Amino acid sequence: MPSLRELQVHVMDALLGAGLPRATALIAGSPTEAERRFGVYANTVQGNFRDALHSTYPAVRRLVGDDYFRQTAREFQRRHPSRSGDLVHCGQGFSDYLAQLHPDDGFTYLADVARLEWLIQESLLAAEHASLDLESLARVPPAAYDGLRFELHPALRLFESRYPALAIWEVNVGSDAEPPTLDLRSGADLIAIMRQRLQLQFHRLSAGEHCFLRAFEQGECFSAAVDCGGEADAAFAASAALQRFVAAGAVVAFTSTVKT
Amino acid sequence: MSNHLENSDGGPLPANAGIGLRAPHHLHVLSESPDVSWFEAHSENYFAEGGSHVECLSRIRARYRLSLHGVGLSLGSIDPLNREHLGNLRRVIARFEPTLVSEHLSWSSVGGQFANDLLPLPYTEEALRHVGSRIAQVQDALGRQILLENVSSYMQFSASTMTEWEFVAGVAAESGCGILLDLNNVYVAAHNHEFDSHHYLEGIPRHIVQEFHLAGFSRIDLDGRDLLIDTHGTPVCDAVWDLYRAALRRFGNVPTLIEWDTNLPSFDVLQAQARKADSLRSALRALAA
Repeated sequence: MPSLRELQVHVMDALLGAGLPRATALIAGSPTEAERRFGVYANTVQGNFRDALHSTYPAVRRLVGDDYFRQTAREFQRRHPSRSGDLVHCGQGFSDYLAQLHPDDGFTYLADVARLEWLIQESLLAAEHASLDLESLARVPPAAYDGLRFELHPALRLFESRYPALAIWEVNVGSDAEPPTLDLRSGADLIAIMRQRLQLQFHRLSAGEHCFLRAFEQGECFSAAVDCGGEADAAFAASAALQRFVAAGAVVAFTSTVKT
Repeated sequence: MSNHLENSDGGPLPANAGIGLRAPHHLHVLSESPDVSWFEAHSENYFAEGGSHVECLSRIRARYRLSLHGVGLSLGSIDPLNREHLGNLRRVIARFEPTLVSEHLSWSSVGGQFANDLLPLPYTEEALRHVGSRIAQVQDALGRQILLENVSSYMQFSASTMTEWEFVAGVAAESGCGILLDLNNVYVAAHNHEFDSHHYLEGIPRHIVQEFHLAGFSRIDLDGRDLLIDTHGTPVCDAVWDLYRAALRRFGNVPTLIEWDTNLPSFDVLQAQARKADSLRSALRALAA
């Protein structure tokens, strides 16, 4: 008699597409019947994964069509099975997988659209946060500004692409109408994805603003973030950028090494 | 004002049937405050730190009693218990303060890989001891009793040495958990594996059943004979209503839930199913009186 461990390993392998006979040999009934009964589970396991992937990546599915999406979801599941009891995570790494599938053909933009959709999902599920306490910021002595570390809203995600990925996403979600044709050379994206309460927002960024926020994301202090912004964009104005992001609720807290 | 608004805390769940809460019904429930005794929500759907689902359930919970029903803890797995999943479960319990917390008597992962489906266990002494100790671990970690639901199944393992109902009763005895008896799952398994669903009920001790589930199934052809599939996509069938009557007679006034997942209909269809469950229970009580 197989141990519980052996039984589970054989069944899981077969569900993910390897070694079906070892699993069906464990099941009561004739081999044909066992295979048919096992097939009910195999279909559900693939269907649940595909549905979850679709719910994270609606624009990618729309772009590639049902048949290709089904086939890609199946192969992605074999190579990168779900690692969580919560299927919302099963699409992690799908963008990298698409990038490997399409390294240098006419579909390299798919990986970027997928990365955008993953970040949108992260933003939609992130925690709320109160806006920045301006009064306490006003109490910071000017000499301490350089050392401040600003915190971004938990729902903020920075996105960059050499394609107009956000425009591609926007015309491929929400409507069943045939999407308009977009020129892939019609612009690159530098975007801050945000959620205010339940509302998703997209803020287009200059190169300087993007590097400025990226520095905050990486825990750099204010002076280092200002330098990053200035290196990326000679016209970068740090105080205007900070005002913009505080007003947008993108910067929500700060820590200071100087007591205020 | 309907009485569910005054009933949002304390004590056992009301006797009237509750409804499985699904995201497409969130806004209807919030705008219409329908007359429903309680809701049951899938724990994992509210694991996020924030966002619309969590916000909706918080507002619904302010008006209604709640049960949290998990699908992802993989209690029967031989892997170590997933501490992250358990931590998330602890967090949603603290956030939504459910009256009942339940999971499934099944497994869905091994070697860190998840099938994300409710796979049946072999009904062996080894599996019984294993899943019993895992449930006890979870109950210790959560500081409360949980209910375990019998799953529907389409295959049986040759290794099984006992009936499903012996296994269910044994797990409850081993771990001290309660049982969430899904009557549709009993019916589906009884049909698929050719046993008598009433024998199943008789094999479950009276005191351990703390919740019933009712739902609909569909049929597929398996080489000339029907296999019933637990799709939760149709009304409760007459034979399952009969089994519900038998269960009410045996187990008494246990909180009952209407579940519907695929082809989700408008909310009033679910309310009509809940009212039917209530009327069956009232009729039995009147007979007994």
